[in-house]
Amino acid sequence: MNMSTGMSSGMSAGEAAQIAARIAANVEKVVHGKAKAIRLAIAALFAEGHLLIEDVPGVGKTTLARCLARSIGGKWSRIQFTPDLLPGDITGVMVYHQREEQFAFHAGAVFANVVVADEINRGTPKTQSAMLEVMAERRVTVENFSYEVPRPFMVIATQNPIEMEGTYRLPEAQVDRFLMRLSVGYPDLDAEVRAVLADCAGATADDLQPVVDPAALREAVAAVRRSRVDPAVARYAARLAAATREHAVVRVGASVRGSIALVRTAQAFAAIDGRGYVTPDDIKDVAGPVLEHRLLLTPEAELDRRDPAEIVAGVLESTPTPLVNA
Amino acid sequence: MNAARQSAVTAAAFIAGLLFFPVFGTAALLPRLGVPLALALAAAILGTRYLPSWRTLLTVLAGLVGVVQTSLGFGPPTGGTLRDLWAGATDSWRLVLQSTWPARPEPELVLFVPLLVVAATALGVELAQRSPLLALVPSFLVAVLAQCYVPTPPWPAAVAALLYAATAGVLLAAGAGLSHGAPAGSLYAAAPVTLALVATVLSGLVPAAPARYGFHGSPAPVTFARVTSPLDELAYRLAHPATEAFRVRNAAAVDRWPLVVFDAFDGIAWTSTDRYRRMGTDLPAGDAVEVRVRSRSAEIETTPAAGPWLPSQTWPARVRGVDPLVEERHGTLLLGEVGGARYTLTWWQPDVDADALGGAAVDPLAPGGTGGVGPVPPGIAELAAQAVGGLRPSLRSALALERFLRENYRVVTGANLPTGHGWPQLREFLLSSKRGTSEQFATAYVVLARILGIPARLAVGFRTPSARDPDGGYTVRNADALAWPEVAVRGVGWVPMEPGGAQVAGATLPTGGLAAATDRARTQLPAPEELSDPPAPPAAEQSTPDGAPDGRPSSPWAGVPVLLLVGLALGVPVATGVRAGVRRRRPGIRAVVGAVEEARDRLRAHGVPVSVGMTPRDLAEVAPGPPGVAEGLRRLGRVVDRSLWSGALVDDGAPEAWAAVREVRRGLARRGWRSRLRAAFRY
Repeated sequence: MNMSTGMSSGMSAGEAAQIAARIAANVEKVVHGKAKAIRLAIAALFAEGHLLIEDVPGVGKTTLARCLARSIGGKWSRIQFTPDLLPGDITGVMVYHQREEQFAFHAGAVFANVVVADEINRGTPKTQSAMLEVMAERRVTVENFSYEVPRPFMVIATQNPIEMEGTYRLPEAQVDRFLMRLSVGYPDLDAEVRAVLADCAGATADDLQPVVDPAALREAVAAVRRSRVDPAVARYAARLAAATREHAVVRVGASVRGSIALVRTAQAFAAIDGRGYVTPDDIKDVAGPVLEHRLLLTPEAELDRRDPAEIVAGVLESTPTPLVNA
Repeated sequence: MNAARQSAVTAAAFIAGLLFFPVFGTAALLPRLGVPLALALAAAILGTRYLPSWRTLLTVLAGLVGVVQTSLGFGPPTGGTLRDLWAGATDSWRLVLQSTWPARPEPELVLFVPLLVVAATALGVELAQRSPLLALVPSFLVAVLAQCYVPTPPWPAAVAALLYAATAGVLLAAGAGLSHGAPAGSLYAAAPVTLALVATVLSGLVPAAPARYGFHGSPAPVTFARVTSPLDELAYRLAHPATEAFRVRNAAAVDRWPLVVFDAFDGIAWTSTDRYRRMGTDLPAGDAVEVRVRSRSAEIETTPAAGPWLPSQTWPARVRGVDPLVEERHGTLLLGEVGGARYTLTWWQPDVDADALGGAAVDPLAPGGTGGVGPVPPGIAELAAQAVGGLRPSLRSALALERFLRENYRVVTGANLPTGHGWPQLREFLLSSKRGTSEQFATAYVVLARILGIPARLAVGFRTPSARDPDGGYTVRNADALAWPEVAVRGVGWVPMEPGGAQVAGATLPTGGLAAATDRARTQLPAPEELSDPPAPPAAEQSTPDGAPDGRPSSPWAGVPVLLLVGLALGVPVATGVRAGVRRRRPGIRAVVGAVEEARDRLRAHGVPVSVGMTPRDLAEVAPGPPGVAEGLRRLGRVVDRSLWSGALVDDGAPEAWAAVREVRRGLARRGWRSRLRAAFRY
C-alpha cells in the first residue's frame, strides 16, 4: 500500500510519520507511559495549533511541554506566569538606546518556535490576553510596529484545575484558541517506576537533544495540510460539532473553529500514521481532546457534575459514521 | 411506506385470529375480527400521520370500540361494557375450553379472540418501526395459541400459511425499500412466499398423524346440589306411575329418551364417568358412527319437578331454548338446575341396514363399554357362558343374551317391586328369583355382557308411550321410566337392547331407525340350538384412540405450526443470504459499504451492541471472541479506509472487503451454540 497516497508534492506522509516517530521516541526518554498524550501533543505540533495541558500537579505537564520543546531544534522559551508578570515581559518592549539615540525593540519570551507557558492561569487577565493574542495572530504589535513570531510557532500552556486561589480562569472565548486540551493523568505503576529510576539516573528534559529542525518541521506541517479530507469525512466532523451545539445539556457547543480544529488535528493524526488521507477513525480519535474544552454546559449540568467527555462520547456514539462519499 | 407496513401487520393479525375458526366458525369470526382491525388500522395510519405520540393508544381504543360494537352489541359503552370486556379478557379463553366446538359465538366465550388480535395489531404496529420481522411476533404468537387450541385442518392451514407469508413479504419489502430500493424489496417480498410454498409442498410428502395435543377437553364445573341417581329413582317412579315427567311434541319416530348413562360398576353402585361441557352450536354424530345419519328433532317440555337431567338422545346435534351442558360420549344433557324447561332437541339417528346389523361385530374400543363389574359371585360366569352357548362377542351373541333373559326371567309389575342393582340383588335375580323390573334386567344384562367380552353400558330414561295425546304428541309419565342396556356395535355406535322384552314395554313401541333395525335383527336370530358365530368381519383397520386411521395417506399438509417453524428456520437464513448477495453485487465501492453493513448486521445478530457511530475499528474493539472476528474487522477497516477515503481508484476493494466479512463470519461460527442459534433467527 502506498503510504503517501493523497500527497501531491514535497514531504510525504511517510516522512512526516518518521519525524513524528523521532519526536515521540525522544520525549519518551523522559516522559514514561504517556504515549497517547505524546501522540496528541505531536499532532498539535504538526497541526500548528496550541496545546493546553491541564492536570493536577506533579503528573508531568511541564516536563512534557519542555521535552517537546527541546526535541525541536529551533528556539524555545519558558514563561512562568505569575500575578506580577506584565504583558511586555511576554511580547517585548521598546527600549531607548542612548548611543544610537533611538528606540529599539527588545523581543519578549514569546519570540520562539515553542513557548512553554507554565501555569498560565496564574497570570493576570491582561497578561493572558496578550499571550492569547499572539497565539491567535502569530505576531506582536508594539508602538505601531508588527513583529512576526518565528514559524513554526506553538504555545504549550499548562494549568492546574484544582488550585484556584490566586489564579485567573481563562475566558472561554480564549480557551477556544487552543487546538486541544490534554490531560496527562497518572502513569501506571510500571511507568511510574521507570520515571523514578530515570530521575535517579539523572535523566531530565534538559538532557534531550533536538531531533528535528524547524525547516523539516515546517515541511511536515505543510504535508499535514495536504492530507486529503473526503467531503463525507468533513461533513462527519461538522455533524459532530453541530451535535454538541444541539445537545440538551450544552449551553454553548463547538464553534466552526472547533470543526476546523477537528479536521486539522485529524489530518495530523493521519500523517503521524503515515497516511495521506483522513478517516472517520481519525476524527473520532481526536474528537475528545479537540471538542471537550469548547463545550459550556448548562448550570444544571454543571451542578449535576456532567462531564464534557461523557457528552462528546455520547455524540460520537449517536452520530452515524459516514460510509459513502457525500 | 408506514401505511403498507401497518396494513401488513394488521392483515397478519387477522389471519392469525381466523385460525380460531374451528373453535367458533368462520362466519362468527369474520365480523368480530374484521371490524375492530379495520378501525385499529385506520387509527394507526391517522395516528402516525397526525399524532405519532398517541398512535398506540388510538390504535387500541379504536380496536376496542370495534370489539364492543361487534361482540357486545351496538350502542354506547357503559359500565357493564367494561365489566364484560374484563370478563372476556380474563375468562373467555377458559370458558371456551369447557365448550363443545364450534362454540356459541357469545361474548363470554368469543371475546378473547378479537381482544388478542387488537393487542397483536397495536404491538405489531409499534414493533414495525424497529424491525419488520419483529412486528410479526405478536400475530405469530396468536397463531401459535390458536394451534394450541386446535390444529388447523390441512388445506386452510396451507392457505393461511401462504397468506401469512405474503404479509411477511410485504413487511420486508416495505422495510427494505426504505434503505435498498425496490429491487431488493421485491426480493425480500418474494423470499417468504417462496419459502412458504416450498415448505407447503415438502410438508405434503411427510405422513401426518392426527393431532394428539390441544387444550380442548376441560369439563365445565357442575354447580348444582347433590341429586338422586335416576337409577335409584326408578323403583320410586314405577311405584308412582301416573306422575307426568315430560311432554314431547312434533317428535319423529323414537322409542326412548335417555336421561343418564352409567358406565362404571364396582359391584355395589353404578356410576357415570361424566365430563359435562358447555354445548356449542352443533355437535356431529360420534366418531364411532360410520353409517349414514339422519337429522331428527322434537319439542320437549319437562315438568317443574324434573331435572337436572333433560330427556335426550344418544347423538344430540343441538338444543334450542335452554343452554345445557352436554356429555358428548353419552349424549346426556344436564341443565344444571332442577325445574321445568322447554326446548327443541335435534339429534342424529343412524340409518342402519338390518341385515348388516345382524352380523355386525362389537366395538371393544367404545369408551365405557368394558368397564369393571366388581367381584363376580360364583355361578354368574357359568350362567353367562350358558346364555350365549360359547359364541364369541358380536351383536348376535348380544341378541342371544337378550333372548336368554327374555325367555328365562320375568318382569314384575304392581306393588312391592324388587329394588337394587348391586351384586347381592343381581345374584338373587339371576340365580334365584328370576323376577325383576327393568332395573334388574338391564343391570344384569350389562354385567353378563361384560363378563362375555361384549362392550355394554347402562342407560336410564323413559320409553315413548304408545298412546298419543289429542294434539299428536306424547305425555311421558313415571310409568314409562325404564332402564336398558346398550351394546357398542362397530360402525353403528350404541344399540339399545330389550332384555325385558315386550313385558317391560307393556305396549307397542313406535318403531323406526335403529330400534326397527334391531327388531328385525332380533327376529332373524337363529334358534338357540342353531346359533353359531357370524362370519368373521374383515380385519379392522388399526385405529388410533381418537378414531383416525393410522398409516393412511395422511393429510398432505403438516399444518401451520410446522410451516411456520420451517419458515422461521429456513426463512431467516435464506433472507440474510439474499440480503448479503444483494449487498455484495452492488457496483463499485458500494459493495465495500455493503460489506460493512453485513459485518454490522452479523455482529448485531450475535448480540453485540452495535451503534450507528461505530466504524469497523470500533466493531473490532467490541467484537466477541474468537480472535478471528476482531482480526477480520480490522482488515475490513483497512480496506474501507483505503477504498472510501483515500481518493485513490481502488478496484480490488470489494473482494478484499468481502473476504474480510467471510473471516468475520468464520470467526462467529466458532462461537457457542447458543449464540449461533440466536443469530440464526435474527434478521
